[in-house]
Formats: sequence, C-alpha cells, structure tokens
Amino acid sequence: MTKHDVKNNDKTKPGLGRRAVLATGVTGALAIPFLARGAGNVLRIGVPTVLSGPIALLGTSSRNALLLEADRINAAGGLAGRKIELVFEDGKAQPQETARVARELVNTGGCELLIDATPSSGAFAVQEVVRDLGVLCIHTCSETSSLTADPKLRAPTAFRCARQGVHDSIAGGAYLAQFANAHKFNKWATCSPDYAYGRDTTAQFLDFFRHFKPDIELVTQAWPKLGQPDFTEVITKLIQARPQALFTLLYAGDLSAFINQGNVYALFKAMTVCTPNVDYPVLSAIKNIPDGIQSGTRYFEEFPPLPANKAWSEAYRKRFGQYPTNWAWQNAAAMMFLEAAAKKAGTSDGKTLVAVLSGLTIDCPFGTNGKITMREDHTIIDYAIGWGRTIAKPPYIADIKPADWGQIIELETAWKKQLGYI
Amino acid sequence: MNGFWRDSGVALAALVLLLGAPLAFSSPAFEDFIIRLSALALFATSLNLLVGGSGMISFGHGLFYGFGAYAFALLMQRTTLSLASAVLLTLFLAALVALLVGAVCIRLKTIYFAFVTLAIQMLFYSVIISWVSLTGGDQGLQGGIPRRVIAGIDINQQGHLYQFCAVLLVAGLFAMRHITASPFGMTLRMIRDNEARAAFLGIPLWRPKLAIFVLAGVFAALGGILASLFVSGAYPEFADWPFSGQAIFAVMLGGIDSFLGPLAGSAILLALNDIFTRLTEYHGLVQGVVILLFALGLRRGVLDFLRVLPGRGEVASR
Repeated sequence: MTKHDVKNNDKTKPGLGRRAVLATGVTGALAIPFLARGAGNVLRIGVPTVLSGPIALLGTSSRNALLLEADRINAAGGLAGRKIELVFEDGKAQPQETARVARELVNTGGCELLIDATPSSGAFAVQEVVRDLGVLCIHTCSETSSLTADPKLRAPTAFRCARQGVHDSIAGGAYLAQFANAHKFNKWATCSPDYAYGRDTTAQFLDFFRHFKPDIELVTQAWPKLGQPDFTEVITKLIQARPQALFTLLYAGDLSAFINQGNVYALFKAMTVCTPNVDYPVLSAIKNIPDGIQSGTRYFEEFPPLPANKAWSEAYRKRFGQYPTNWAWQNAAAMMFLEAAAKKAGTSDGKTLVAVLSGLTIDCPFGTNGKITMREDHTIIDYAIGWGRTIAKPPYIADIKPADWGQIIELETAWKKQLGYI
Repeated sequence: MNGFWRDSGVALAALVLLLGAPLAFSSPAFEDFIIRLSALALFATSLNLLVGGSGMISFGHGLFYGFGAYAFALLMQRTTLSLASAVLLTLFLAALVALLVGAVCIRLKTIYFAFVTLAIQMLFYSVIISWVSLTGGDQGLQGGIPRRVIAGIDINQQGHLYQFCAVLLVAGLFAMRHITASPFGMTLRMIRDNEARAAFLGIPLWRPKLAIFVLAGVFAALGGILASLFVSGAYPEFADWPFSGQAIFAVMLGGIDSFLGPLAGSAILLALNDIFTRLTEYHGLVQGVVILLFALGLRRGVLDFLRVLPGRGEVASR
C-alpha cells in the first residue's frame, strides 16, 4: 500500500456514517418517483413548462395564468365538481427532458390531463408522448403551424390553444401591405434571428406580404444570432442599405436590445420598423420606446377592447405584480376551454372532453369578438390579432386595427392545400 | 476465462432482475428510468472505453450518440426496414463514421485530440441544424418513429420497450466488459500508461486506438438509438456538446477506473435530475451543490471511492 493510499484510507474512516446517510437518502429519494399517487376527488393537471434558462420568464407567466384560472374555477366548484390541482415541472426547453417530464406527470404524477406550456422544441416531443399515452393535452405555447396543420404530426388527443405562425404572417402581411401602400414604401429589409423560426417565418411573412403587395423590393436581409449581445454590425448594415421599412422577427431580450441599440444609431429615424413581437416584457426592457414602430399585439390589455380582458389583466397584475405575457393569455384560455368543455360534458374525463373540445366555441376575453373557437383540426381561431403603432407612453400601442379572420382562414386554407396538408 | 464466466453470471443475474422487476411491482416511472438509463449508461460506458480504458479524452463523443439517434429515426421513418435491420444498419453506419473520424483524430494526443473530436461533433451539429429538409433543423425530427413489431416485440408498448432496452443495456455492457478484459483491452491500457514502451514492443499504436474508437462509436450509437425510441424522435441536443459533457460527467461521477462507474454515474445523474426537477425550479443550483459535495467529499468517482473503503485493501488494479 502506498503512502498516498494509507492517507486516503485514514481519511475515509470517519466517513462511514456519511456514506450510510448518503446511501439511505439516495435510496429513499430514488423510490419516491416510483410510488404512484392516489387521485381521489382531485383532478391533477400536469404542466410541463420552462422554469429555468433564458425564457423562464415566459414559463413563469404561464404558471401564473394557470394558477389564477385554477383558483377561479375551484372557487366556483371545480371542473365537473373536481378540484383542480396543477403539477408543474421544468422541461428546461429541452425535448428529451420535456418528454420525460410529460411521461412522468401522467405515469406517476397521477395527472389525468396535460397542459403543455413549452415552446415548439418541447411541444413536438410532448406530442409524441401524447400520441403514445392517449392523454388529453392542450399545447399552449407552440406557434409552429405544422404541429396541428400537418396531419402526419397531429395527435388525436392533442389540441393547440396558442397563436400560429401562419395566422400572424397573413395578418401582418395584410396590415403592412396597407401601411406600405399608404406611405409608398417599396424598399424593405428584414432582420430576424438566424435559426428555423426566424428564417422560415420571415419567408412565410414575405410570401403573404407579396401576395398583398407584389411590387416590394427587398434591399437587404440580416440574420443576427439568437441572443447576440451587440447589434452594431446589423444596424449599420441596415442603415447603409437605405430601406424605407424594416420587418423584424427578433423577440424578447433580442428585440429590446435591438431597439435600445437602434436608438443610439437613430435607426428609427432612418426607416420604419415593423414587428409582430412587441409585448409587455419587451416594452419594460426598452429605455426609450420610439414612436411609430408598426407593431402586432401578442398580449395587450387594451386589445381586444373588452372589459373582461382589462379585468383579467388587472387581476393578474394585482396578484403577481407584473403584466401578463402572450403565453399567459394562451394558458388562461386553455383553462377556460377545459372549464367550458367539462361543463358541457358534465365530466372531467379526458376521452369525453376530447370529443367535446373539438369545434367548441367559448366566451373568452382574448377573442376578437369575445369568443374563441377550437376548430375541428384542434387549433384555435378568432383570437385577438391586431396591429397598431407604438407611442412612448402608456398604453404604448395606439390605433390598433383588428385582423380580418375571414381573410386569414381563406389564405390559411390555400397554404394548407399548397403544402398538401388538406 | 474465470472472469468471463463470472461476468456472464453477473450479466445474467442483472437481466433476470431487470426483466423480473415489473412482475414484482409495476411502475411506469421505473421503466422510464431504466430506458433512459440504458441510453445514457451505454453512451457513458462507451466514452469510458476511450477515456478510462485508452487514455483518449474525447469531447466529441456525442457525435455518435446523435448520429445513432438520427440515423435510426430516419431509417425507421423513410424506409420499411424492420426494427432489427434498422438497428444493425445504424450501427454499421456509425462504425463507418467512427472509422472516418477516428482516422483523422487518433494520431493526435491530449488536448489536441479532445478539441478535434469536439470540432467534428460541432460540424455534425451544424449539419443537423442546417439540413432542415432531412433533419427538421432545430425543431428536431418530428412525426414519431414508426415502431414496427418484430418477433412478437411491440415496442409501442411501454413494457416491451423496457424489455428491449434492458436486454440491449445488459448485452451492450457485457460486450464492452469483454472488450476491456480481453488482451486487446490490456494492450490499450498499456498504450494508455506508456505509449513509448508499447511502441517498442512492436505494437502498431494506431490500430488498437482506431479499433477502440470505432467500437466506442458503435456503442454510443446504440445509446442514441434507445434515446430516440424513448422520445420517439431525434433532436439536435443529442449531438450538441453539453451532451458529450454529460457523459464525461457521468464517467467522472461514477468512477473512471471501475467498469460499472459510468453506469453508476449515469444513474446518479439521472436520479438527481429527476428528483430536484420535481422539488424545485432551482434544480440546477441544488444539483451543482450535491455534485460538488460528491466531488469534494469523495475526491474520485463513487465506485472508485467504494473500492478504497477500509478493509478492501489497496486500490484494485485498473
């Protein structure tokens, strides 16, 4: 035995107790997840979401909205007489971890329903779990249209209660074509994050934009990296190209950083910036909100201009001390769909609710006309989509024009046919 | 030969235990855990064939894990191959890729080897992200993996998938154990400990190093196949560098000098993740602290530590 080993062994002797404690603790902890929990008269709803990393803010806002709605429904007697208990788990925005969490929530967490509050990276993984387990699931955050549009990807018990990329592209294309015609803006540039969402959705937006205004000239396209801290190079490139207007799909921290840095270079005097992605977290991170950004409304308490929408936002702000996000309203609407379906079916049984949810129209503060419909292809329509212009003071977006849902559905149908989905 | 029969006995006992466990208590979570453990443990143990067994510290081993997941998922989605044929073809393709990558890398040593393997992994990752029409880009390969029934095994059923993974885990570990215990494995350890002496003895260094690189790639791809079956898809994260880091972590945590160290490390890593994710949203912080305690308290992998317990005598030879 070497001197080193002797020294080591001496040090390990007092550690026996520690090891025993460690072993017992690990064994006990390992056993916990394998013990199934009883259901009783409580309806457990599993919520895989994102509670860590760069988009934890959105996951937290989803949790807030669900808690707000669950408490309201429970106070009114629960879902078909059963009290709702929400079980949140962090999928870390990783597909394999989100799939694990979703399976665990159903298999051992005793959850009878799932509300999947994860972005597309997680939602597609959850979709496969749902296909396997046959559990009722409402995706509340994935905006990727193919999740429900592509029949190959659709799962019979999965629904989407979230806005869709294709809807936003049509609405944005129509609004901005009108805006461009009014101001005789033909020279356009784009600036979107350099990954699938940025590139695909920009291409889709341009398709619909050209549908409404065929004579646009694209003078430059910039593709900054996701999470890029310094936009100097992008901003100078855009200014040098001298477009009359810029369409950008930057979002969250990237969008606020871009606007803050763009202010320094007087970008907003050089061109009109248009984006569908302004929301309250972005507004709160911008030091000086420039006037005149053409902006979509992801969640906005003034739009739709319904008392119920304003009241919901105020209740949210009162309880959580911050403004709701786009993910927040989508999750709240999912709970409202479950509430209405359970009321109509007289049960909280998942299989029964699947049949009832399909084609269901509910009263909802986030609908263009106070109503939202869960279409037969398991995705929502008639939710509020509007475009307006930013102003420096509250309510920050003015002159909001609602999108035409008839036009959206007509062009969406053509798009689906083009891709062979229908 | 005694060692072979002892290992066979242990493998058989482990298999009986794993296959019998669901009969004693039915727990989908336990089955999920073993399925995920199978994927990570095969991946981490295959990495230890390089790190512990051959002294080749690869930072880019996730390439083969990701390749296995994508190749298998694509074969199942785009061809009518049976499950077994798709698995075998995936492993063959992984061997070819490992042969190409190994031919470039094995002549390099230490940090240069580590970084070139990492660079090639990131190249593969970039291909996955960019080749959207084939791989689905950063959204991953969607649409599910068609799970065709073979010889009565229907891996659509959780129980059958569990049995399939348990058998492959035990078989994979047994094969790797046999490799490390063979004269070939001893040659690699000699190269690891003293390359110059091995060369003086007339061993062509590149040949066993390339062979073990290819074998490690094949077993990592097997792990990737099981991971893709679990999530019914393939995602770029499987081929990203943090995943290689996770395997290195599992090896260090479980014990670099013990054959079952990576298995133990994988089990601890997964269990810590599962438990703390459930208990707190600050799971990263708690996991970090717990792992720090392991590292500072044991100062070596868990199984390596257990081998120097009082009464066990000297550290067993590598």
